Parts: sequence; C-alpha cells; structure tokens
Amino acid sequence: MNTGLLLHTLLGLLLLVIPAGLLYFLERPMLKNFGIAIVRMIIQLAVLCLVVWGLIRVDSPWLLILWLLAIAAYSGWIVVKRCKQEVKKLMLPVSAGLLIGVSLIAFWLLGLVFPVRIFDPHWFVPVTALLMGHATAMMIRGLSTYLSALQADEQQYEFLRGNGLAHFKALQPFLRRSLLAVISPTVANLSVLGLTSMPLLLVGILLGGISPLHAFLLMIGMIAGCVSASVLSMALSIFCYELSQRHIRQTAA
Amino acid sequence: MLEVKDATISIGGKTLVKGLSLIARDGQITCITGSEGSGKTTFLRTLMGFLPVEAGFVSVDGELLTIDSAHAFRTLMIYLPQEIQALAHQLKAPEAPVCEADEYGVWNATLPSAVKEQQPEPLSPEAIFQLAEKTILEAPDKPIVIADEPAAHLTPELTEQLYELLRQQKEAGKTVLIATRKPQLLSRADLVLNLDTFRQ
Repeated sequence: MNTGLLLHTLLGLLLLVIPAGLLYFLERPMLKNFGIAIVRMIIQLAVLCLVVWGLIRVDSPWLLILWLLAIAAYSGWIVVKRCKQEVKKLMLPVSAGLLIGVSLIAFWLLGLVFPVRIFDPHWFVPVTALLMGHATAMMIRGLSTYLSALQADEQQYEFLRGNGLAHFKALQPFLRRSLLAVISPTVANLSVLGLTSMPLLLVGILLGGISPLHAFLLMIGMIAGCVSASVLSMALSIFCYELSQRHIRQTAA
Repeated sequence: MLEVKDATISIGGKTLVKGLSLIARDGQITCITGSEGSGKTTFLRTLMGFLPVEAGFVSVDGELLTIDSAHAFRTLMIYLPQEIQALAHQLKAPEAPVCEADEYGVWNATLPSAVKEQQPEPLSPEAIFQLAEKTILEAPDKPIVIADEPAAHLTPELTEQLYELLRQQKEAGKTVLIATRKPQLLSRADLVLNLDTFRQ
C-alpha cells in the first residue's frame, strides 16, 4: 500500500467523524459499539482483500481450486449451523452440493457467457464468491424448509412409500416445498430489482469503469447464474444427503 | 394373498408377538385386533416390509417378502395409515410462501434464518374419508388393501361408508386387511385375528 492510498483511506474514514460526533452528543453509550463495529469491519475487509491480493499475485489455477474448496467447506458449515443440524451428518453433502453446483455455473459463466480466461483470478474470485454467497443464503432457506417439512409431514412420506412410491418419488412433495422456499423470494426480489433497489454489484461494476451496457450484460449473467447455482446446489445437496440416509429412512419409514 | 408363517415380531428389542400365522385370502376382509399397544400397527408395517420379522416369514402370492424386496410388493398395495388425519398436504399441496422483496437481497444480503415448517391442521372426518376414497379409487389394479385403524377419526355414518368401500374392494377380489378395534368393522370381517393371543 503506498502512502497516497493510505492517505485516501484515512480521508474516507474521516467521514465517520460525523456520525461519531452526533453519537457523542446524543447517545454516548452507543459510541463504543459503533467504534468496535468499525474496527471489526476494517479487519474483516483487510483480511479478505489480503487473501484476494494473494490469489491475484500468485495467479495459479491450483490455488483458485483450493479457494473454491475452502469457501465451499466454510459455506457448508455455515448452512448446517444455521439450520441447527448435525455437522457430521450434513456438512459433507451440503459442501459437495455447493462445490459442484457453484463450479458448474461459474465455469459456464466464465467460459461461455462473459467469456474470459476461466482461471483469471480477477474474474474467478468475485464470480465464485458471489455465486457461493447467494447459494449459501438460499440453501439455508431451502434445506431448512426441506428438513423441517420432512419432520412435520413424516406421515406423508410414509403414506407415499406405503402406497408403492420409490424413495426419491416419495420425497417429491418435500423437494417441491424447498424449491418454492428458494424461488418465491427470488421472484419477489427480481421483479423490483433496479426499480426500488439498486444492486450493489451494479454500482461496483460501474465504479470499476465498465460501460453501463457491459454492466447490464454482466448483471444479467450474474443474476441468472446466482438463481441457477442456488437451485442446482440445493438439489445436489439434498440428493447427496438422501443417498447417505437412504437405508436409514427406508427402514424407519 | 398374504401369508405370515410362525412370525416373531419385535420392536426396540421387545418381542410383541411370537409364533403368529395368518393367511389373508383374496376376496376376504381380514381384521387384526388386540388391546392398545398389542402391536397392530407394527404387524401391518411388517407385512408391508418396513420392519423385518425376527423369525418366520411373510409372503405375497407365494413370493417371499423381505426388506429389500418390499418396495416391489408395496406397488401392489393400497395403504391407509393410522395417522391419516395428519395428511392434509396429501389432499391439498401447500402453497408457495408469500415473500416481500425486502425480505431478501440478491447482493450483499445478511444470511436468512432457518425456516421451520409447521404440522398441518388435522383433517376433518369428511376430508379423511375423501382422502381414503381417493386413495382406494385411484388404484383399481392394486390387489391388496391395508388399512390401519381407518375408522378411528370417522363418524359412525362415515365408518359405514368406508366399510362399504372396503366391501366393494373385497367383492372385486382384493385382499383387504384392517387393523381395528371397532366392533362395527370386526363384526363383519371374514376372519379376525386377535394379537393378544400371541403376546409374550
């Protein structure tokens, strides 16, 4: 980091004097929390940027694959924890679903849609991070809906099995519910995107100096990729999980 | 035809019945009865291959039924479970959740909370009968009907209608097997098996 960049960063942080000043006069106890949040934010961002800087500097496909494996494992862990499930039982299928789902969509976007060098870290890191972030958020909704629906409606699974449906066929009503849990908020949000909400990604692309037309194309690609990656990852995760649970569920039904 | 020969059925290490033999013939209504906890539901689940027999065997039309082969046999069965009143979502699939756009952000959103699905409201006696009727009538080619306490949540009038429906299945030459304690059904069965006589 050169001196100029440091100075500009400090000038940016100086803006926080305004809210901090107001808090000092009007709500002094809040000032400590405000300070802690700012410091945490700076540290987290610095660590993240340091990792990305390292990935760009080394520019190795193997390191990028390692990055993808690491974020898939971390995201899988977050999903399992958020869904309050056993790490031992679900972390592997969830991480595998996220890894395969996000990788397939990322390769499609990078290789065919944008198209750029697939293992160019400038593209690979943000694209995989965005897809993984979105798929993780949606997986929490979809997987928790799936598991809690199976628990609440266990009788329905047994009824369908008892009437001759195969294991995966009997799971179809529950898969439908988890798909709806993912698709419904997506539909609600996408219809207002750009009208009542200005996506931060678009702002970021425009700030990066890309023309509005190219920004539009990038946004369309990323939105389509995010929606597809979330649905694909969820389906793959549930499939992997059910394969591992197949025998247990068959005898317990 | 469903046959059980010298079967010992256990659950959770506890033997419920021992040395049980039964032949449920085509064109007959066979009722399984017994006191509460005598193992009626467990027995039916064993006949459907959800649970293994500890000793003896179960066969369908002379073919041995095991846990592994059970799925193929279940395609021949119509099943009305004991908790049929809990099958509201089988009668009407739940609708898509209503979402506001601000509940969700495509970019830089905080992670959502886990969703907790609730049990559906229990079905009314009329809806239970509707589901039972639909399940039976939609599978005219299945030769075996297994009903676990089918009249438990029905009014006497609906119980009568259900019996009529089951009788029609019997007349069509199907094997009808019912677990019940209702005298209204027991008195009209072709064969009654009391599990209490096989208890340990």
